[in-house]
Amino acid sequence: MTKAIAPVFHRVGNRRHEYVLVPQGGDVWRRARLPGVGRHWLNWRGTYNPRTLQRERRLADKRPLWWLLGLGGLSAVAPFLPDTLLQVAVIFAVFAAINVIWTLIIGAAGILSFATMATVGLAGYAAAAANVFWGVPWPLMFPIGIAVGLVTGGLLALPSTRIDGLYYALLTIGLAEICRVSISQIRALAPANSSINNVGSFIPQDWYLQRPGLLLGFATAMGLLLLALLMFRLVNSERLGLQLQAAREDEEFSEAVGIDYKRARMAVFLLASAALGFIGAYYAMLYRSISLSVFSLDQMLLMFAMIVIGGMGRAEGAVIGTAIVVVIDRALIDLGPLRIILIAGVMIAVTLTTHRGLADARQQFRAWRNRIKSERRAARTRKGGDVMPEEATEIADRQLHAYRRFDKRLRDRLKDMVTPELIAEHAAAPLGPHSDALSRVLNYFRRGEMPDKYAILQDGPPEAWVYSVLALSGEPGMPPRVVDDRSYATRDEAYHAVFLLRVNDLLES
Amino acid sequence: MDLAMIVYALNLSAIYALLAIGISLLWSSIGMMNMAHGASFAVAGYGALVAGDLLLPGINAALQGSALLPLVTFVVLLAAGVGSGALFGVLIYLLAFLPIHDKANFAVRGLIVTLAINLATVQALLWWFGPRQQALPNIFGFGRLNLLGVPVRYDQAATILATAVLLSVVLSWLRLSRKGLEIRAMMQNAEGAALSGISVRRTALPVMAVTGAMAGAAAVLLSQTVYVSPGAGAMPLIKGMIIALLGGLGSVPGAAVAALLIGALEAATGVIPFLGQRMVLLVQFGFIILVLIIRPRGIGGLLDETRK
Repeated sequence: MTKAIAPVFHRVGNRRHEYVLVPQGGDVWRRARLPGVGRHWLNWRGTYNPRTLQRERRLADKRPLWWLLGLGGLSAVAPFLPDTLLQVAVIFAVFAAINVIWTLIIGAAGILSFATMATVGLAGYAAAAANVFWGVPWPLMFPIGIAVGLVTGGLLALPSTRIDGLYYALLTIGLAEICRVSISQIRALAPANSSINNVGSFIPQDWYLQRPGLLLGFATAMGLLLLALLMFRLVNSERLGLQLQAAREDEEFSEAVGIDYKRARMAVFLLASAALGFIGAYYAMLYRSISLSVFSLDQMLLMFAMIVIGGMGRAEGAVIGTAIVVVIDRALIDLGPLRIILIAGVMIAVTLTTHRGLADARQQFRAWRNRIKSERRAARTRKGGDVMPEEATEIADRQLHAYRRFDKRLRDRLKDMVTPELIAEHAAAPLGPHSDALSRVLNYFRRGEMPDKYAILQDGPPEAWVYSVLALSGEPGMPPRVVDDRSYATRDEAYHAVFLLRVNDLLES
Repeated sequence: MDLAMIVYALNLSAIYALLAIGISLLWSSIGMMNMAHGASFAVAGYGALVAGDLLLPGINAALQGSALLPLVTFVVLLAAGVGSGALFGVLIYLLAFLPIHDKANFAVRGLIVTLAINLATVQALLWWFGPRQQALPNIFGFGRLNLLGVPVRYDQAATILATAVLLSVVLSWLRLSRKGLEIRAMMQNAEGAALSGISVRRTALPVMAVTGAMAGAAAVLLSQTVYVSPGAGAMPLIKGMIIALLGGLGSVPGAAVAALLIGALEAATGVIPFLGQRMVLLVQFGFIILVLIIRPRGIGGLLDETRK
């Protein structure tokens, strides 16, 4: 009679229940899109969190929120600011717009041009002159500014194909000075000290320098900044910008795949120049006048300080740098010459410590922290375990580190147990019964990994078996390899030979 | 074109050459565009001024009526200018070269840091000494020398002579000394020089000091005609830089030729009636743009492809 055995199940491990994964993948894909184009507003990513074992929605790129917080915060606060600070905010927005466009020239097009303020000033002068001397109504100043900006950009672009890099930069530094001298030669402007006043504007005459005029100025300056940012986004992250990025990485390669990067560079330069011309016309209208001070070398150096502090080549860098420098320069005006020294000090500190300005500081800090962390981890694993430092950074699974350390300690203990007596005991009875020490050693051997695990080959005629030792390859389809040319007459001898091989491996490890 | 104008042109060229060769030397040996060269110039002017205020009364009392007095005065002022220029060069070395010379993007970052040093120095001078323009004591008097029928002002003659002596000293130091050999090796191939055991840091220090000293010498010599002021360095910096560019960055003979050309051009533009002094800069820039379009690397410079 057989008796039915009621099986007893034990809970294994400490996990109380199986987790049910609810990916809710649909959530990830339900994202709002920009009307007209297929793009999303925000860069949502669906990820799987290995800690909570939950499916999550994560905002991969949080910069739009920072932009909203910064510019939106400024716009919200602006109506309550006193007049002087409101003027500082207006200057910030205008300079930030200029710097964003300049970043496009330096960063995207890769042309180190210092002729920004020269373009702005020339367009401003042309637009103001058209309004004051020829009676052109103020809305038409914008197209005039754009046209002058385009012409200036075209003239500037001519030598940039021949002269490159630093040479071009140093030449364009002088351009502002040339503009200043040339305009100061114009006799018609001489009575007003070479400036043009009473320019028509979107700000009505009786609002000028009054509270509503300042608020209107701030609103339009913010609009200008947003337009500049939109232009940066459209040029830098779309086709032109991507072509130029490829060219920056490898000119020959991008040429070989058919990117006409010189043409793209020119296109970006001309677009940016036109935008600067627009800003020039706006500048003349905002202050209802324009004077030679737009061409001053100091002003240009300050603007260079702005994009250097923020970081060249990124829109957020241009805006952050502008904010810092404008606050030091205009809001702390009581400090006198000291504030320029302060700006220079910030410039030196930022350049010496960061690779690409403040906008990149966070990433640089993270890279540095990760390096330090991995160095520490490597030092830790080297102390206790088997993982070499150069290997440690490449093993993502921390459990593997722990296992290797455990394995190392286990082997160290087992090595002490291997004695001549132990080997003699195994030779006498390979299949047991074994002492405690021998069974521990054998247990360790038994759970070795498949690659290079030893096996015994039984060969020859049935009445006279011959045994030899093989090592398995551990890969399906790959035949085992012969370890040595020794053969054994009995199975026990073969068992013992395998045991000796493994003991040898253990002691060598 | 009379002969007096040639002397004037030579005078300008001499000072420009001192500045441009300094910038050019620095660029070719350690690959840094020194935008603080104008600051070295201004600092050296003030160094000479302060030293003059401190020392000259004593010297005047000691050598009252002696024929040596102008010479001693000149040497004291020149030594003060050269010394403070060299010290400022060392400061630039410590701030702008040492921390970042082996880091990524050194050319641009060095340019930015030296630019910031320039900004800060000009403002610091403005803060300390005030915006007033001050004159160095006149060393050479106002007399004229009659050289082969050409009237030459004393200070012009001395400037040309002193520049010739200084430049020949610096160039023969470069040509003949051990350090000069190291610097020339670094100019030709920085990597190769480093591999044969030439320390970039130890070589850069004397280069910076010497170029600062050259700017200081230029400041003292020029201050015989132009006042010392905090912003005095801007024009010499721009002039020196465009001459260094015109000569081809890194080429010392190119810079010398370019200095002669620009000096002559400036002197000539000044006397042509419809151009005049105000258009000097415009004409110079036009000329330089023209030359650079024909020869993109300047008179003495080679294109990178040709150099390889």
